Amino acid sequence: MSQPAMINRYRWHELVAIYCGIFVFLAFILAPFVEGFLVSLKPLGLLFSSPYKFWPENGSFAAYKSMWVSVPGFARYIFNSFFISSIVTVIVLVLVVPAAYAFARFKFRGSGALLAAFLAVNMFSGAVLLIPLFRLMRSLGVLNTYFAMIVPGVAFLIPSAIWLLRTYMMRIPRELDEAAFVDGASHFYTLRRVILPIAMPGITVVAITTFIGSYAQQFIFALTFNSKTEYMPLPIGLYAYFGRQEVIWNELMAASFVGIAPAVILIFLMQRYLVAGLTAGAVKQ
Amino acid sequence: MGQLNLNRIQKFYGTYEVLKGIDLEVKNGEFVVFVGPSGCGKSTLLRMIAGLDETSSGDILIEGKRVNDLPPVKRGIAMVFQSYALYPHMTVFENIAFPLRVEKMAEEKLKAKVEHAARILHLDQRLQQKPGMLSGGQRQRVAIGRAIVREPKIFLFDEPLSNLDAALRADMRIELAKLHRQLQATMIYVTHDQVEAMTMADRIVVLNAGQIAQTGAPLELYHKPANTFVAGFIGNPKMNFLPVRCKGVSDAGVEVDYKGQTAVIPVAPQGGLVGRTLTLGVRPEHITLGPGDLTLKVTPTVIERLGAHTVAYAAIGGEGENFCAMLPGTAAIRPEVTIQTGIQVADCHLFDEAGIALERHVELTDIDMGVLDPAAA
Repeated sequence: MSQPAMINRYRWHELVAIYCGIFVFLAFILAPFVEGFLVSLKPLGLLFSSPYKFWPENGSFAAYKSMWVSVPGFARYIFNSFFISSIVTVIVLVLVVPAAYAFARFKFRGSGALLAAFLAVNMFSGAVLLIPLFRLMRSLGVLNTYFAMIVPGVAFLIPSAIWLLRTYMMRIPRELDEAAFVDGASHFYTLRRVILPIAMPGITVVAITTFIGSYAQQFIFALTFNSKTEYMPLPIGLYAYFGRQEVIWNELMAASFVGIAPAVILIFLMQRYLVAGLTAGAVKQ
Repeated sequence: MGQLNLNRIQKFYGTYEVLKGIDLEVKNGEFVVFVGPSGCGKSTLLRMIAGLDETSSGDILIEGKRVNDLPPVKRGIAMVFQSYALYPHMTVFENIAFPLRVEKMAEEKLKAKVEHAARILHLDQRLQQKPGMLSGGQRQRVAIGRAIVREPKIFLFDEPLSNLDAALRADMRIELAKLHRQLQATMIYVTHDQVEAMTMADRIVVLNAGQIAQTGAPLELYHKPANTFVAGFIGNPKMNFLPVRCKGVSDAGVEVDYKGQTAVIPVAPQGGLVGRTLTLGVRPEHITLGPGDLTLKVTPTVIERLGAHTVAYAAIGGEGENFCAMLPGTAAIRPEVTIQTGIQVADCHLFDEAGIALERHVELTDIDMGVLDPAAA
């Protein structure tokens, strides 16, 4: 058996403490998911039984079938969410990649001020600007369209994406740009053939954070700028399970899990581009 | 008119003058090495020739054409970087082919050229590998391949070997010298390593604080350094400098006094030296055990036995600087035991108060026929 390196060796009580710490954090993070999943398995009547039973008796996946019946448009909501987030992510990437390259490589007047301004924009959440945005959308006549939910999403996600990608691109050795320049490549050629492939892990991180960010902020934009049912994204769609009389908790939980599934699968697939050490061999470190 | 001409090149960073008016002519096919301590401006000068840094004033001419405002690729140069600057996501083949891809060269022609370059550099077995799988020396060869494949008029090397270990560096030095002979191309090479400069250069340009301290063939710099800077920079260990007093000047040379001993140093005589303090330079390898024309009693504090040589360091006369002697490998000396060392006047260099050399009576053509005219070698 190979011994771990000296710096990675721990006494038994240190190990116990470390694992206890991990367990506490994981419990806080995962408990809502576990509880939510268990609720989705229980029949509705059992949910309010007293005393409350944590483990479902005669649990079943019935809610995962009936949810489609209770809210017939649910598939559309999933699609809307996915569609809006995908478009937002694509637009953000198209705008942010060249911008981050410029901020990382070129010295130009006002670049520092611009970056600071982007950071400042990040401090306002979308909620603060909802009223002005609403008026703007109304005068442009784009309320109740996908556009109304996509554009603010893009605007609020660009600053952090630029900061993230700029930092990543600054780590790519400048000699690579210079070598390409000496060999006659234009800035766009260099960006496309040299910088983009090397920055792929960074771009993937930006894509994932943007996608998740867009998912998270849809609720408030959809609620304010859209009143058409067919354009509603998932977070609003889940409200459909809040009936006039009662909330169908088990179906709501089932729908939540089904709703985020496509995003989880996509992120899982994108993760494989997060290959570390892609710059190995570029320059002598 | 040489292939590359630099006319009064200056470079300012703000108000700080990095290069103070460089004039240089490089002939076709020459291997010129810029050497100097770090911060002397040698890399900046190379980057200006490459077109990576702007020239503040002065002209850069390549084949008689002013190229100051041309991008690198239009200047007909190729550059090899200290850090290799390979594209990590491309194979060796694609790395070498990069400049040709930029030119949009036809696939067959491109393939032939890349394979030709790879053969010259012994990379034919590695073409499908990524740079990450190569050793340091191989990576540097890929970087050189990327330069070769464009068939530039002038190759620029920016300390290409300083990231390699000592053994590999010696190998690559030989490879580069061979490559230069094979390609017959003009090469400009920047280094801080005087061994690289001495072994590869047709001509060395010694830079100090933004100025050319001396330009000349390697042995010329060694035997006839123009000033104390070059004298101290070229040669390892460093030349010893002793303060002497000028007693007289004759056709045979300059008579100096060192702590009561007098000797006539065979250098070109000059008026107005009598009574002045001069600097006597003598290389450690020219110091012998036993008496000489000048005899010094020194007490070595540290002795380095290198096998072939023994290097002895001694504090001398309270000047603070070490006196260094390179003696035979078997020299019978011990630390803290005083020895007698001798200096022959024929080996001595003499510098005036400003550090400018008085020309030695040494015919370089006696040392090496090719020294003064590299083309004849």
